[in-house]
Amino acid sequence: MARRAIWNTDQPEEAGPPRITHLDRDRALVAAARIDPARFEALYRKYLAQVYSYAYYELGDHHDAEDATERTFVAALTNLHRFEERARPEDGQGASTFRVWLFRIARNVVADRQRARYRRPEEGLEAAATLADGAADPAAQVARRDEASAAWRAIERLPGDRRRAIILRFVDEMSTTEIAGVLGRSEGAVRVLIHRALRSVARDLDEGSR
Amino acid sequence: MTAGATRDGGEIEALVTDRYLESLLALGLNEPSQTPAAGSIVDRLQPQVRLASERLAREAPRYHPSFRFEERVALRLAEIAASMRVREAAGGEGTVVPIGLPDAGTPDPDDLLFDGPLDDRPDRVRPLLIGGALTSAALSLAGAAFAVWWRTRPGTTPMERAVRAVGRGRPA
Repeated sequence: MARRAIWNTDQPEEAGPPRITHLDRDRALVAAARIDPARFEALYRKYLAQVYSYAYYELGDHHDAEDATERTFVAALTNLHRFEERARPEDGQGASTFRVWLFRIARNVVADRQRARYRRPEEGLEAAATLADGAADPAAQVARRDEASAAWRAIERLPGDRRRAIILRFVDEMSTTEIAGVLGRSEGAVRVLIHRALRSVARDLDEGSR
Repeated sequence: MTAGATRDGGEIEALVTDRYLESLLALGLNEPSQTPAAGSIVDRLQPQVRLASERLAREAPRYHPSFRFEERVALRLAEIAASMRVREAAGGEGTVVPIGLPDAGTPDPDDLLFDGPLDDRPDRVRPLLIGGALTSAALSLAGAAFAVWWRTRPGTTPMERAVRAVGRGRPA
């Protein structure tokens, strides 16, 4: 009897589990960090600016953004054994489920920080005092002027998940699939969120230029 | 027009926008003149959405924390990594658990990993688990066993046996 070819697609029940053709692009770094936690530093350096940018857009304060960034990476390191890679072929090449997992942590850290602010409004006064102190610093003034660009302000005015989706798409350059993973929504819902957000931004920018 | 048709139309527009963003962000936009070439996707895209996309891709700033902050956190992560290695080498017994929630701004690690209510949890003190508890307890038991054996072991010399016999004869 002739041996059955192992790639015979007519026999799916004998073909075993489907082969993963696209692996998580951070697979090697995550595996190394699992063996030796000190190797987590490579993941930290790789995603530091992205996590920090996200936190800064969401919180609007450098100190809070730093705090949220630190908490995110500490939580990721101490819980790395709980991370499960879930890259699928349809995620495309270069997909990182580790990045999605990391940003889910960041999203929850930021949300917690926002709720803490809401519960303790006196922090807002402290933040205002910090800003006032920095007013005399020319470098800080330049930085604030840059930050207050029309694009930044337009993003800042967007509501909840529309704002998050736009930040993740444009600032962190995530794919729609990754954003869906971070926000816990379907890809279709994320596409609609981004489209609507862009229409709001367009209106904002248009009014600003008049 | 029905609501279903409007919804489908919105989803198609969103899909067109998504395809455009894929090609726009793939360019990197180092030069302001760099935009995806005109084609079927660009032609079908709403002009105001296209302009807003191009402005955000060019102008939305990306931030990086200070070098000092970066190195401080790197050091902290290295310390945590070292403590994780030590725990693993010791058999992984015990974990470092915060004694309590110091303030409302400290999230529960489980809440960080999984979506769930962060806000409604009551202020609570976590149970304390100290990694060395098992080791200390084992040492104490060994010490007690040694003391009992020392007191009850038979003497090796006649004088020692006589002293122990007198000791046993004394009222407690």
